[in-house]
Amino acid sequence: MGSGAAVPAAFLRRDLREALTYKFSFVSSIIGIFLSSATFYFVAKLVPSGTPSLGPFGGDYFSFAVVGVAFAGLLGMFQEGLASVVRSAQLSGTLEALLVTPLPVPAILFGSSLYSLLFQVFRTALHLGVALAFFGLSLGRINLPGVAAVGLLTVVCFLSVGVLSASFILVYKTGNPFSWVLGTVSGLLGGVVFPVALLPSWIRWVSSLLPVTYALDGMRKCLLASAPFSEVLPDVAALAAFDAILLPLSLVAFRLAVRKAKKDGTLSHY
Amino acid sequence: MSGTPALFVERLVKRYPVVRGFRELALRPFDRRSVTALDGLDLEVGRGRVFCLLGPNGAGKTTLLKILATLVLPDGGRALVEGHDVAREPGRAKAAAGFAVGDERSFYWRLTGRQNLEFFAALYGLRGGDRDRRVSELLRLAGLDEAADLRFNGYSTGMRQMLAFARALLADAAILLVDEPTRSLDPQAADRIRSFLRSELAGRQGKTVLWATHDLGEAADCADDIAVIDRGRIRLSGPAASLAGGGRAALRRAYEQAVGNPVVADPAEAAGLEACDPVVADKSGGTP
Repeated sequence: MGSGAAVPAAFLRRDLREALTYKFSFVSSIIGIFLSSATFYFVAKLVPSGTPSLGPFGGDYFSFAVVGVAFAGLLGMFQEGLASVVRSAQLSGTLEALLVTPLPVPAILFGSSLYSLLFQVFRTALHLGVALAFFGLSLGRINLPGVAAVGLLTVVCFLSVGVLSASFILVYKTGNPFSWVLGTVSGLLGGVVFPVALLPSWIRWVSSLLPVTYALDGMRKCLLASAPFSEVLPDVAALAAFDAILLPLSLVAFRLAVRKAKKDGTLSHY
Repeated sequence: MSGTPALFVERLVKRYPVVRGFRELALRPFDRRSVTALDGLDLEVGRGRVFCLLGPNGAGKTTLLKILATLVLPDGGRALVEGHDVAREPGRAKAAAGFAVGDERSFYWRLTGRQNLEFFAALYGLRGGDRDRRVSELLRLAGLDEAADLRFNGYSTGMRQMLAFARALLADAAILLVDEPTRSLDPQAADRIRSFLRSELAGRQGKTVLWATHDLGEAADCADDIAVIDRGRIRLSGPAASLAGGGRAALRRAYEQAVGNPVVADPAEAAGLEACDPVVADKSGGTP
């Protein structure tokens, strides 16, 4: 194994070893995916096929909701995973021991969250697989370049929000506003389980400020509606704009947060 | 580099901001208050020496160790580890000194001792066979080879402390920083730790050990040099042979004189042990 991969591998091995000591959590997580799919399968029976607001996404509510829920979980993990590993290391007391190693702080942060992120990717794939195999998820002709573009820009965007959250937690320990604003508001206004078009016009503009709106819109069009790349270009452009602002902002914020925590002597406080 | 002291600290200052309540924030939002932890501290530790840092609670011992370990940034002065400035070259300073984080919560409790060390070894850049050999060697050195494959949550407090030393030695740094390593240990476990630090690490391996402790007897028995820190400054410093030459009672008298806070009579002193004449450093300039 190359030296570049050895550190991420060490973090993955550590977290996998720990996860294997909690034998039931994996099983309950899988059962949760089945229950979530089954719930939306029956709710979908209340929504007639061909509902106009579902038209741009293939017309089937079950597929719309499953893709929304599966990807929202993934985005939530990208958004909050980094902050939660910092918080967890502060609480468990391992942060100080990690920080005296030669690894730079960003490498510790990303290494520590790697397992959670990959596990959530697996859960998302499993969610879609279960919906496809047991509940009749109807995928269109998948637009792979579109999926790749929307996916990559979305990952960068949500990881940037994650770094902002982690910066806040490093300095203030709790009460992360990014998590609240983007997590809670996105669930309601970001089109996770119902189309944004159903929102009253006086509040719909808020959706246009949320990256999750573009991420889910683009992903659904690529996966469910056989949309060509030109149709998802507005989503790609919006996500690129978010990235251009959030990525440098998050890196500066993180550097300042580490410096402030070291200055205040609170790096490992909780 | 052979003339460079292992640790060199010059006029080191550290002030922590005071945490304020909502009322005070509302009434005086721009008021900034701080407490001084280090107030122009000077210190030099020679290579291969066991240097015990004594001082009352809140004297600044842990702050000094954390600055040397690059966990806290100083507000003034400088601190050099093997000649590397902790503020300007934190990576090199970190590589030169191992900090034995004694907090037992700093390990992964559901992993074994070996798995914990394997993980940290990877972060110190050890790979494959080198990593496995180093981990096994340190487990043996720490007397944990038989317990290596038990979960950390089954370890005694003494075993956890030994694992913390093993972790700090992974990179084989020439300097070891230890903060109250025998706190909460039974006398036999404490003796094993003292012997490990004094005989194995300093004696056999030639490492420099900066050792913060409250235990005067420990300092008298193990140190080559002793310093007493109080209110952020070194109040007394010198070779252990001179400060503790008259035994623990002599060191206690010197300590009390240095921190200006005589306490209850020492039973050893009452028993008539002889004292030496320590050199008390300048006591002016204490923090308010």
